Amino acid sequence: MSGENIIIEHTLFAEPIYQIGSFNITNSLINSWLVVFVIIIFGLLLRNKIKLIPRGLQNFFETIIEALLGLADSVTGSREKSYKFFPLIFSFFIFILLNNWLGLLPGIGSIGQIVVEHGERIFVPWFRGGTADINTTIALAVFGVIASHVFGVIAIGVWSYFNKFVNIKSFLEIPKKIKANPAVILANPINAFIGIIEIVAEISKVASLSFRLFGNIFAGEVLLASIAALFAFGAPIPFIFLEILVGLIQALVFSILILSYMTMATAAHAEH
Amino acid sequence: MDTLISTFHIDIKLLIAQIINFGIVFAVLYYFALKPIISVMKNRTATVEKSLADAKKIDQKMIAAEEEHKKIIAASKLEAAAVLQAAEEAAESKRKEMLNKAKEEIGEIINQEKAKMQLEKAQTLKEIKREVADLVVASVEKILGEQVDEKKDKEIIRRVIK
Repeated sequence: MSGENIIIEHTLFAEPIYQIGSFNITNSLINSWLVVFVIIIFGLLLRNKIKLIPRGLQNFFETIIEALLGLADSVTGSREKSYKFFPLIFSFFIFILLNNWLGLLPGIGSIGQIVVEHGERIFVPWFRGGTADINTTIALAVFGVIASHVFGVIAIGVWSYFNKFVNIKSFLEIPKKIKANPAVILANPINAFIGIIEIVAEISKVASLSFRLFGNIFAGEVLLASIAALFAFGAPIPFIFLEILVGLIQALVFSILILSYMTMATAAHAEH
Repeated sequence: MDTLISTFHIDIKLLIAQIINFGIVFAVLYYFALKPIISVMKNRTATVEKSLADAKKIDQKMIAAEEEHKKIIAASKLEAAAVLQAAEEAAESKRKEMLNKAKEEIGEIINQEKAKMQLEKAQTLKEIKREVADLVVASVEKILGEQVDEKKDKEIIRRVIK
């Protein structure tokens, strides 16, 4: 060592560890792969163990699933809909939860390599919480919002769904309804405009979902690192518990929001 | 937009990689965990509901069977009572009939006996009369010590007899 300081900085972005062609494998991506690996192992273990008469672990999972289904019912309003959306929502929940929590494990963020960049020695961790990378959260948000649109189209049909956003229907209705109620000439263009606002709302959904999750988890990691830098022994422990809670809450918030988007998308447009 | 992308290092390839990751997670969870668990849970609910419904049905059937049972018993009791009564009546009438018959027979027998006795009495009387006459004749003979003639004889006999 030449006595130079090693710079440890918490970057807003995930850092590339390895490159295949033009594809950057980032430390966040490695963490996500770990989560995927854990889930695959878990799935393979569970695969042939599910019986009508539950035993041991199955009881535990059924209890969790039953509780989450109850929670989903309170959003969707019907068990039928909950069953339809539940697999996707549950996958979001588990994937985000494990990513959040995996970012808290000791070693994540502290094991890494030193890269020389612009003459400075920069520490680059090998692992970084999957959801502490905006790419992951945007991917999840886009997936969720698109899935809600797919469910919407399946539930109420392409034409009805399209008219939620580009409301051609409301203009076509004007000649039919104008005799009965002259106010439609004013009301229906307003409805059409609301449809355009809905398009903006869809984009803002992706933005709010992804930045909320990313912000919370990234902030949590920065917080833990800062506390550890101040006093490494004991002081971070309450914050670690806090971050465990935050990880759970953020996973739940993300899943419930996607669920409510799906519920809204599959509800038929209210006709006066 | 460019600053946003450069600040957060938004990379479409990473985005796609993460979507693939999530897709794998979804597929694994769906096919290996959620689908079987949910179907098992639904099945169990259906089974429990069916068993409960069956139990209810069985209960109802039991109640119906019990009622039927009671009805049958009541009906048979009624029938038995009727049969018993009929039997009693028949026995009563039979008894009366036999009694009457017996009475008749007894009466007949009594009559027969009476007639017989009458006959016997008459016969006995006749015999007695004859014996008495003989006795009288003998006594008279002894008393008189001699044979009286026919005429006297007859007179004496008449007197004795009177």
